[in-house]
Amino acid sequence: MPVEMLRDWIPVALSADLPAATVLPAHTPSGILALWRSASGKLTALADRCPHRGMRLSYGFVRGEALSCIYHGWSYGQTGQCLRIPAHPELAPPGAIKAASYAVEERNGVIWIAFEPPEAPPPSLEGFQPVRSITVNMDAGAITPNGTVRTQLAGVDVLLIVAGIGDRETIAHVMVDAAASATDRIAVSNAVEGWRRTCEQLGLKELAS
Amino acid sequence: MTVRHQPMIDEWYPVALASQLPPGGRATQLMGTPVLVVADDPIRVVTDDGRDLPVTLRYGHVWTSLGQPAKQLFDIPEADQPGRRLIEVGVVRVRCSPLRAVENFLDIAHFPFVHTDILGAEPHTEVGKYDVEIREKEDEVWATKVQFYQPQAAKSATGGITTDYMYRVPAPTSSVLYKTCPARPGEWDVITLFVQPLQEDLCDVWPWMALFDDETATTDLIHFQQMIFLQDRSILENQIPRLLPLDPGREIPTRADLTSVAYRRWLKRHQFTYGAQLVAQ
Repeated sequence: MPVEMLRDWIPVALSADLPAATVLPAHTPSGILALWRSASGKLTALADRCPHRGMRLSYGFVRGEALSCIYHGWSYGQTGQCLRIPAHPELAPPGAIKAASYAVEERNGVIWIAFEPPEAPPPSLEGFQPVRSITVNMDAGAITPNGTVRTQLAGVDVLLIVAGIGDRETIAHVMVDAAASATDRIAVSNAVEGWRRTCEQLGLKELAS
Repeated sequence: MTVRHQPMIDEWYPVALASQLPPGGRATQLMGTPVLVVADDPIRVVTDDGRDLPVTLRYGHVWTSLGQPAKQLFDIPEADQPGRRLIEVGVVRVRCSPLRAVENFLDIAHFPFVHTDILGAEPHTEVGKYDVEIREKEDEVWATKVQFYQPQAAKSATGGITTDYMYRVPAPTSSVLYKTCPARPGEWDVITLFVQPLQEDLCDVWPWMALFDDETATTDLIHFQQMIFLQDRSILENQIPRLLPLDPGREIPTRADLTSVAYRRWLKRHQFTYGAQLVAQ
């Protein structure tokens, strides 16, 4: 997988972890975005701040094709434009009430976002299937310089897609061979906890030395 | 503390419940300054360097000031009205600006979403026109003729009613709410929010009530109020920024927010900026 793509696209979640009509906080190196999927399945990534009173939109709720803020129910569509203010149901919200929206794409079970629209789509990761995501208390750069790790866990070939999400905090999305059995997937899911511990212990040693 | 906060330094703040002061006193802080509320008779408030601060006992709470208050503590005439039960709710610590805690208290549009099926419920989300003014003589913010449909307006309410409200801000971190009294039509129940600014982004909130309600157990009244405020806390600790923006542009109000707009304007006019964010900063 070309390193360039990982620079532009940030892997933030697995498709399976964001069912229709839900929202989650998507952690990126530049902060949190409100990532949501509409009832019909459309994905949107918005700035995690309601322009009304600054409440985090990732605490909100999805109804139909809109994300609503949990504080006053102001709802936002895919462009981030405010669609409705429940306190004034007859009012058409002014165009200035808008949350910034970002590029988001879903390929092969992984959701990617980008702050500037990249020219190329995110990597397809053909031949792999997603298992789970895991956070690691370590800088992404100390785990891998290029955003991916190829290794074996529980005797199964594994691809880890890695993104830093803060100071000494990293998210890793675990992929296995597309042909891997359910038993293998469970074994990898358990084994990746050990991989995390190894990473964190190595990180601690480096800090101590 | 910088001189720019002087106007707020000269105000009164709650620092303890007088009835629940432990024998060893209450070690707390006010605007970043450690203070000790001493359980002497009379109660004293002292700083680390031994300075005695002014003390007022009122509405069940111990009030003090780091500066020199130009006025006595604001009056709540209903506190002395016969027949009212005075309820000391206790304290809730919130990781937010003391000004944001007050602004949230002045807001009704969030009831259906934050206090769902208690203080509000969809589809009854509309906020009608109400009156807001800064009363020059009293130097207080007032909102009147506020109305809202509520499924369970108070512990003593048994069904949905349209509740009338009045809001009053007599001090930068205190607010008094008057609302329809289910037990005694024609009177107003009084619910207050007294906020102790610990730091610019941390506060202790002391709700207090003066109600006409001879039936509900005190514990239930306290639990009701604490439940409501804990729902508010989940909002208050997740607003960005933590400080209250006082300059226009950072947050966009609508008609339902006229009380908030007047409160922010009044804060700015008096340079009550401890816990506020200004563009110049």
